[in-house]
Amino acid sequence: MLFVLLSLAFWYAVSRIVLGWVNYAALAKPDHRAPPPGLSVAIFTTSTPGEPLAMFDRTLDACRRIRYPHTTYLLDDTRDPRFSQLADRHGAVRLELVDVPGAKAGKINRALAATTEEFILVLDPDHVPFPEFFDRVLGHFDDERVGFVQVSQAYYNQRRSFTAAGAAEQTYAFYGPGQMGLFGHGACVAIGANCTFRRAALESIKGHGIGLAEDLVTAIRIHAAGWKSVYVPEVVSRGLVPEDLGSFYRQQLKWARGVYEVAFSELPGLGRRLAWRQRLSYLAIGTYYLFGVTTPLFLAIPYLYLWFGVQPAVLPFAEFITVVTPVGLLGALIYLVVQRWMCDRTTERGLHWRGLALKIACWPVFLAGTLLAIVRANVPYIPTAKEAVRGRFVRLAWPQLVLIALYLATLARVLSVRAFHTAEGSLELSAEAVWGMVAFATVPVLASFGALFAAWESRHPPATAPWDAIEVATIGGPAE
Amino acid sequence: MKRRYRIALVVAFSVSGAIATLGLSALGDASEGPLSAALGWIGAAAGSIEHRVRDRLGGPPRRESMRWLEPYRASAERLRKPDFVLLGAYDSGIPHTLDGILALESRLVAPLPLVQVYSAWGDKPDQQFPVELLTAIEGLGSIPVVTWEPWLVDFENVKHPGIALRDKRDSHGLAAVARGNYDFYVDAWARAAARFGKPFFVRLAHEMNDPYRYPWGPQNNTKEEYIAAWRHVVDRFRRAGATNVVWVWSPHVGYEYWDLYYPGDAYVDWVATGVLNFGPIAQWSKWWTFSEIFGQKYDRLASFGKPVMIAELGSLAVGGDRVQWYRDALTSIPREYPAVRAVLFFHARDDQTVTYQKVDWTIAGDSALSAAVRQSLRSSGLARH
Repeated sequence: MLFVLLSLAFWYAVSRIVLGWVNYAALAKPDHRAPPPGLSVAIFTTSTPGEPLAMFDRTLDACRRIRYPHTTYLLDDTRDPRFSQLADRHGAVRLELVDVPGAKAGKINRALAATTEEFILVLDPDHVPFPEFFDRVLGHFDDERVGFVQVSQAYYNQRRSFTAAGAAEQTYAFYGPGQMGLFGHGACVAIGANCTFRRAALESIKGHGIGLAEDLVTAIRIHAAGWKSVYVPEVVSRGLVPEDLGSFYRQQLKWARGVYEVAFSELPGLGRRLAWRQRLSYLAIGTYYLFGVTTPLFLAIPYLYLWFGVQPAVLPFAEFITVVTPVGLLGALIYLVVQRWMCDRTTERGLHWRGLALKIACWPVFLAGTLLAIVRANVPYIPTAKEAVRGRFVRLAWPQLVLIALYLATLARVLSVRAFHTAEGSLELSAEAVWGMVAFATVPVLASFGALFAAWESRHPPATAPWDAIEVATIGGPAE
Repeated sequence: MKRRYRIALVVAFSVSGAIATLGLSALGDASEGPLSAALGWIGAAAGSIEHRVRDRLGGPPRRESMRWLEPYRASAERLRKPDFVLLGAYDSGIPHTLDGILALESRLVAPLPLVQVYSAWGDKPDQQFPVELLTAIEGLGSIPVVTWEPWLVDFENVKHPGIALRDKRDSHGLAAVARGNYDFYVDAWARAAARFGKPFFVRLAHEMNDPYRYPWGPQNNTKEEYIAAWRHVVDRFRRAGATNVVWVWSPHVGYEYWDLYYPGDAYVDWVATGVLNFGPIAQWSKWWTFSEIFGQKYDRLASFGKPVMIAELGSLAVGGDRVQWYRDALTSIPREYPAVRAVLFFHARDDQTVTYQKVDWTIAGDSALSAAVRQSLRSSGLARH
């Protein structure tokens, strides 16, 4: 039983690696196409009660500075006159959309009915677009079959905390070689933050998808309806990444739950209308969060052995290391090689150990997402917090604290058993197995210090708002 | 980036990954690879630290009480000409634990200088030179006796294209060994044995004259082929510098013409045989006394001028008085068989090597028997210290 579980977990891990290579093998980049003049273009950005006004000031200002002629719509349900004034000041059109079900996507669909533009950029309000945004994007709609054009996602606050740096690092490969590979397979993912749609494409699927992973659903449905998509691996806007661990976990839970929902409810029905490469790509995305199920299995192995002598498979530690090390080195090497396709190489390249530490720390969140998806429990749609939220250390770090406590207790037990109880005739012959397992248990404990630090830092988030420091006029580089 | 270039890159990475995996996982026959070597070194260092801590906490270790054996543990030359009888045992806890040996030893109140282990030829990890096990035996202060069984069918043709196909391999297999077809394996053992450095016994291809039991028997090989193979293996070990190996030639004296398989004085250090009384449990066996099994062959065994080892001593319980059997055996050895220089108990619990049912050779669990053995060992003077 244990052996079967472990084998599945192992083969899952192997399949992730292979799927990554399959994806990288299709890597493609579209040639730039300048847009023709005269397209009718809209920007939709949404505001909800409690969101900071100063952030919208930056966003709407940046929208106004986008060079290609367009209309900016603020999809507003704040009932706050200051938002209305702000929209006026930046030349945006405010659409009052209160009590619309379906959160952001619901408002987008309502706004679609109220407007006529042929191309719509759905922009998250924390994103500051650069003036050349549409110049880089709209040309690809020359091809009548293109349903949406996605651009890279980048951030302006990733240096403000460990959590922000780790969270950002986790996305660099996806927005570089990851999405480029998906584009090669004809399976780009639309990202709710800054995706430009063709109105006809959205209308052909009866509007923007709704749900926790509304952007992924929308992308799959548009592809299933026969549209193509384009991924432009360029940074033409910058937004926010969670700065505190609590917000990061909430974002990850929302995504995990949402992505499973897509895998459970969308893929079976629409799968037949997708090409096999698209199916494989979306299946790979839909099973990403299984990491939360396999990780506890791997974590448990040394403890099962050290406390109960249970071993799912007899593999001497030295042999395990000699087999796994080349695979790990090769994986790291490939990761470093594909970094040449990252969108902003100077800031994004690196070993990304913070991102790895945070991913390992996320397994309870992914597991929760998995279980919630299986029982179809609802996770409310809350936009990811724009400003860091102060978190209590123990509340954020308890999984790591429990792991460390268990590790120390196990270490104490092993030391006392081997010092006083293990018979002389077994001591030497069991040394490799026991200390190998201890070493195996040590790795995740070391990794958990990253999350511990992130949780500690989250007790005192930065005092200033992230957008205080940015200058809309220069964020996209010097004006041409 | 062109598609062809991209595919080539992926292929190049896959191939280099495979090569790295193979190289590092010690599958090459040249060496075990740097990573395994480094890990082995770390493991040995950790083990020795652990030993030192244990010695400080847990009182004098067994190695201390075996100090009198030191001259033999340090010199293969002394082991080739011992001046007293070395006791020993195999225990079924091996290779996972040596606790059974220590338990037997305290039961018999007789230190066991020799510990026997069995190792089969082949590609699997547990068929490589058992350095951990030998180090553990050495760490306890004893001397290992490795019974090394050339099961040729456990090699993969994929890895060793030079050897015969599996179903044809046993026929004249020893001739192939003598020709050097298995040197990839023999040499790896020889190097590891030289690196191990401490003296130990190797009982190679035992019971080579029994036509029913093992594939290296006369049903597949001539005695000339056997002798050639023996000499070839010993030569390879000597060439690798493994002069710490003491070679034990061990025929089955129940069959005729066993003495014709003797590889020669220059190639044999000890002469051995097993003395196992199965009693009437099988058609081919009956209750035999120690003197019936061993005594009648002793003169010929001793005539080679080498020390004699009783490599497997044991009697089952059914069909006679096994207390008396052991008593007769142990008291007669020093009196009537002075060339015998080693006696190893065959302390196997669930032995199934020659019978269909599992049989139990253990002594420690039978208190009357272990008391008798203890008493005989003391009165005969076999138990030292």
